[in-house]
Amino acid sequence: MLSYIARRLLHAIPLLVGVSVIGFGLMHLAPGGPLAVYTLNPTITSQDIDRIRVALGLDQPLHLQYLGWAGGMLTGSWGHTFFGGRPVLTVILERVPATLLLMGSALSLAIVLGLAIGILGAVRRYSLFDYLATTGALVALSFPTFWFGLMAIFLFAVELRWLPTGGMFELGEEGNPLDLLRHLVLPTLVLALVITATWSRYARSSFLEVMHQDYMRTARAKGLRRHEILFRHAFPNAVKPLIALLGVELPFLFSGALVTETIFGWPGMGRLFVDALAMKEYPILMGMVMFTAVFVIVGNLLADVAIALIDPRVRLQ
Amino acid sequence: MASKRTKGISRRRFLAAAGTTAAVSAVGAAGVGKLAAPALAQQNKDRIILGMTQEPVQFNPLLYVNAGTENVPEACMFDALWDVDDKGRFVPNLAVEVPSQANGGISADGKVWKVNLKRGVKWSDGQPFTAKDVEFTYRTIMDPKVAVRSRAGFDLIKNLKVADSHTVEMELARPFTPFLWAWQNMHIVPEHLLSKEANINTSGYNSQPIGTGPFVLKSRTAGSHMVYERNPDYHRGPAKVRSLIHKFVPDQLVLYGQARTGEVDYMGLSGVPVDRRAEAAKIADRIFIGIPQPWVQFIYFNCAKPQFKDPKVRKALYIALEMQKSLDDIYYGAYPRTLSYLHKTHWAYNQALKEETPNPELAAKMLDEAGWKVGADGIREKDGVKMKFTMSTTAGVPARQGCQALFQQNWKRIGVDMEIKNMPASVVWGEYTTKSQFDTLLVAWEPTVGMDPDYTARAHSKQIPLKTGFGSNYTQYENAEVDRLLELGVTQTDPEMRKKTYARIQEILLEEVPFAPQGSTNQGHLRKAAMTGIRPNEYVVDVTWNVQEWGWA
Repeated sequence: MLSYIARRLLHAIPLLVGVSVIGFGLMHLAPGGPLAVYTLNPTITSQDIDRIRVALGLDQPLHLQYLGWAGGMLTGSWGHTFFGGRPVLTVILERVPATLLLMGSALSLAIVLGLAIGILGAVRRYSLFDYLATTGALVALSFPTFWFGLMAIFLFAVELRWLPTGGMFELGEEGNPLDLLRHLVLPTLVLALVITATWSRYARSSFLEVMHQDYMRTARAKGLRRHEILFRHAFPNAVKPLIALLGVELPFLFSGALVTETIFGWPGMGRLFVDALAMKEYPILMGMVMFTAVFVIVGNLLADVAIALIDPRVRLQ
Repeated sequence: MASKRTKGISRRRFLAAAGTTAAVSAVGAAGVGKLAAPALAQQNKDRIILGMTQEPVQFNPLLYVNAGTENVPEACMFDALWDVDDKGRFVPNLAVEVPSQANGGISADGKVWKVNLKRGVKWSDGQPFTAKDVEFTYRTIMDPKVAVRSRAGFDLIKNLKVADSHTVEMELARPFTPFLWAWQNMHIVPEHLLSKEANINTSGYNSQPIGTGPFVLKSRTAGSHMVYERNPDYHRGPAKVRSLIHKFVPDQLVLYGQARTGEVDYMGLSGVPVDRRAEAAKIADRIFIGIPQPWVQFIYFNCAKPQFKDPKVRKALYIALEMQKSLDDIYYGAYPRTLSYLHKTHWAYNQALKEETPNPELAAKMLDEAGWKVGADGIREKDGVKMKFTMSTTAGVPARQGCQALFQQNWKRIGVDMEIKNMPASVVWGEYTTKSQFDTLLVAWEPTVGMDPDYTARAHSKQIPLKTGFGSNYTQYENAEVDRLLELGVTQTDPEMRKKTYARIQEILLEEVPFAPQGSTNQGHLRKAAMTGIRPNEYVVDVTWNVQEWGWA
């Protein structure tokens, strides 16, 4: 197992290099660039723009810019932001806790609810509950997240005034866990709504498939009780594709939710990405691409290891 | 029975489930109600919460690029030599007085400027402010390695010398009346801290600055807010509130919601959505303020393109448009109409300019006379060139898209085919604009040297970057008389003489229409009624220009 993990991590190195080359290339191939924001300043001249291009190192050939950036990454320097000149790693790390909290809460809630709804839907297939769950999931997946966000804010924050409209803390209440909880409720619920819908559909389909296997019929024929059949026989087999799904979703814990964070003013990675994209902040964008790529690799590795641990038939080689 | 239990739901179980749901909801609601209690707390009059949709990332006043939001740290922590007030007058800040020929601060030929600085001013780390700081600020602006956003005006300084610890003398290459604006727009940075930095672009100072301003930065929570504390030693007297909190709420509607609930005391950039202005004006305990912004929205014509070479054609295209209707219907009347690159309320605005839009009949006649005849496909053409072109602006701005759609219809009626080609801001305002690759642009820009009426960079023939590598005359407009008048205007010191010069420039520009003016922009801000000291100022971009005067009744 350990040698397998080590091999996978070694394989990740060329993968990360590939991601960085493609990411860097695409970012620079896209039309426009970070200097466009200066054009909005009426006092700026073409000479000023040329001077700033040199000052930011954007006048160098692309391969030299890439090598400069990659060399920095190897020595632990993620570069500096174009606007503000701050270390990129600091800029990214200061956003991680907020995103981890929001995504962790939403993902945990959604997995529990999604699994419960999915299993119940599979067990009581074609029941009223199943129809309601299916329709609910369809609605949740069909409407855009920003709509749910705005509706939630309008209803619970502006009209009823039960909860704050956004942010992470009431100003002056920083560090107060109760205040954090108040701010966490709406974005978590909105985000969890969509993730729950996805998970409930996967769970239902996975459990339905397992429950129609021959060994399940045998278990029923042996006279085992329903919950024993469900949790001892069906669950370990049905949950495997869901672990793979979790592996894929793990990076979102760190990359954040673009729309939800923007609507609720949540100071996380998603917001950072949106702002960096608007300004074409290449150093931040590249830092976030690499950060997410690492967690995609780690997430998939963890999922493979977890599946091997719960299913003795799987051998990691 | 078994199959009934698994596939259906009995009435009794349904009622039981509904009862349980109701009970859980009631308990949940009560819990939420308890959680919500702090939101209803009494107004804290020690602080002001200023909400904006954008977050500043650069706090060094020489390096920031995002006007509006990045003006807040500038106004809170830094000072210029002089400011411009809400009447458009220059008022001294770090300087003892604003130099003029009358007070001997400017030589008779307009080339030598002497600035006396206030004594006793201190940086917030306790070090004294001196003439060396002004000299260092100038040297930094001119340093090619530093990504300063503009050198406009400063590039005219031939020599700057420190006469004594509190006097600076500057010699200009030529007289330049708008020079006052250059220093009004650039705030002074500390020599004793920044001169030690190897690379100012990446200096830690840019996120933890020290200034002479009314506030000092206490803390910053990335993506959320910045907290400023009052500078007790501020040279113009301490600010009225103990702290100012600059809060960032990226969604405009959500920020408006926070202004309604009282979570922010003042809603600034990007303002109340135009379709909510009427509603905002009726909210109890809130005051809606229309803040005039320096920008004027135009259609920029690329005068080098065959369709737009003839001034008569540009004029015809302009007068075919329903400009007032676009402002009334799309901006709900929030943007006042203007016929110039200046606001109608600007001191140099030519009040004799006449509204000529919309007049599609005359427009069609003018195009006919200019040789642009309607072809078989209903589109005008001349010498094999079709009157077809694109109009670009930032993608995803509904109001601008509405204007484009209206203009498209207006032009279609006279045989002109305009295609909307919007792009992300980083694309459309990049080389597409600076290298004059566009056909037409829908753009809002302020005058080029502060709010001085000088428009050299945009309208002088030597400022076409594609030809000279210099300036921002992206329309590639050329007119010898305008060139002469622009050169004259920046040397005149008598306001009445200047007014005449710029009136003639505006007259020519409206006749030849390199850029067709639509309206002057205006932002709807919302503040708590008990706030005091807010003074809308159309001569600056930021509402916080007098932040030290903000307080509570």
